Amino acid sequence: MLSRDGAADAVQDLTISPYDVHVEVRDGETLLRAIVRKGYKYRYGCRRGGCGFCKVHLVIGEVAYERPIDSRVLTDDERVSGICLSCRAVPLTDVVIELQEGDRLRGIPQSVNSAGPAARKEGKGDSDG
Amino acid sequence: MGKTSAVIRLGYVHLRVTDLEDARNHYSNTLGMEVVHEEPGKLWLKCWDEWDHHSLVLEEGGVGLIKAGYKVEDTEALADFEHRSQQFGATTGRFSAGENHKVGDGVRITLPSEHTLELYTDMEFVGTDTGAINPEAWPRNARGVGTHWIDHALISVDDPPLIERFMTEVLDFQPAERAIESIEHPNLIGSWMSCGESPHDLAFIKGPNGKLHHFAYHLEDWGAILRAGDIFSMDDVPVDIGPTRHGITRGTTIYFFDPAGNRNEVFAGLGYRVHRDFPTINWTADQLAKGIFYHARELNEAFTSVFT
Repeated sequence: MLSRDGAADAVQDLTISPYDVHVEVRDGETLLRAIVRKGYKYRYGCRRGGCGFCKVHLVIGEVAYERPIDSRVLTDDERVSGICLSCRAVPLTDVVIELQEGDRLRGIPQSVNSAGPAARKEGKGDSDG
Repeated sequence: MGKTSAVIRLGYVHLRVTDLEDARNHYSNTLGMEVVHEEPGKLWLKCWDEWDHHSLVLEEGGVGLIKAGYKVEDTEALADFEHRSQQFGATTGRFSAGENHKVGDGVRITLPSEHTLELYTDMEFVGTDTGAINPEAWPRNARGVGTHWIDHALISVDDPPLIERFMTEVLDFQPAERAIESIEHPNLIGSWMSCGESPHDLAFIKGPNGKLHHFAYHLEDWGAILRAGDIFSMDDVPVDIGPTRHGITRGTTIYFFDPAGNRNEVFAGLGYRVHRDFPTINWTADQLAKGIFYHARELNEAFTSVFT
């Protein structure tokens, strides 16, 4: 649980490497929810911690889990080696993540989400999803 | 010609959930099941249109399928299935009345796919919410989606031909529809198998042993599927795909996830009945996406990869 006072309440900055994409993570929000809210997609499945499909590499920073995690979905070894379950992970600090090998960040095109990626990428057709 | 199976239907699903109170809210308030019994760390639930005591057991700690129970006609059939399972080479055991709350004696079978199947003949009869005497069409106090009953389960197995052979030879199921590589190379990828006249009571697709793909609730019709989708938006339930239609079974559907990440389905429309002379329908791998999602005709990445 995040405390109602102190650093955990602050908005955290999430950087998705190597895209140089920055996402603001709101108080209590998971990495996945923040990335999707910003208009991006990547590889994820159940969005409730059950399938492990949304694992990412946590390169820098700390996260806490908002719910108990099945140790068969995210093993202790994976945690130690910096793998994190993005649908349940809430950042405690600014974080830098890398997507899984073979995955890529996709943006939602045009002005559907004016605060989203398309608005920030000038003259670049990024409709690849 | 298929043999009449003494297996009646899928009776219960016993599931792990990471957070019991989140699960209670999902299955009780969103889907509308009633909590009929509880013990520390466990809940028993029933749909309004089910006659027996419960159809879902939730156990806190982890995620995924613990076991599935199928109701069979009588104790002779139970002994026969036990014997035939052993002959096939499957591990079996007996369980006593009360070992499963409100469930009678039964036979526990470990399928060659490592799934646990429990066969039983009796569960306490409690009746539906509308009853058996001059019943109304539906209960006025139904909550949320108001699911009618648990209809079927789809599991993942490493060796589909072996499991199809087990279900056919031991439990007298017949394949209503199958997914095969091609007509020339009919290697089995999945099978939708029936013990009665419903298009599927147990289905499986190629995947890791011991895992659940989804279990499904019956709803009345397409309108009810749409309404369920509305409720999933209201309750922030993650939707996998739908509302849409399956080519396989012709059912209308939404796949969605419970708060632990177990996949659920709401399913409507009895596309046809599986009589004993029903010829098996085959879907080839190149058309399988249409068989699964008849409108999009594309499999989403999660469908073939996400199991619990």
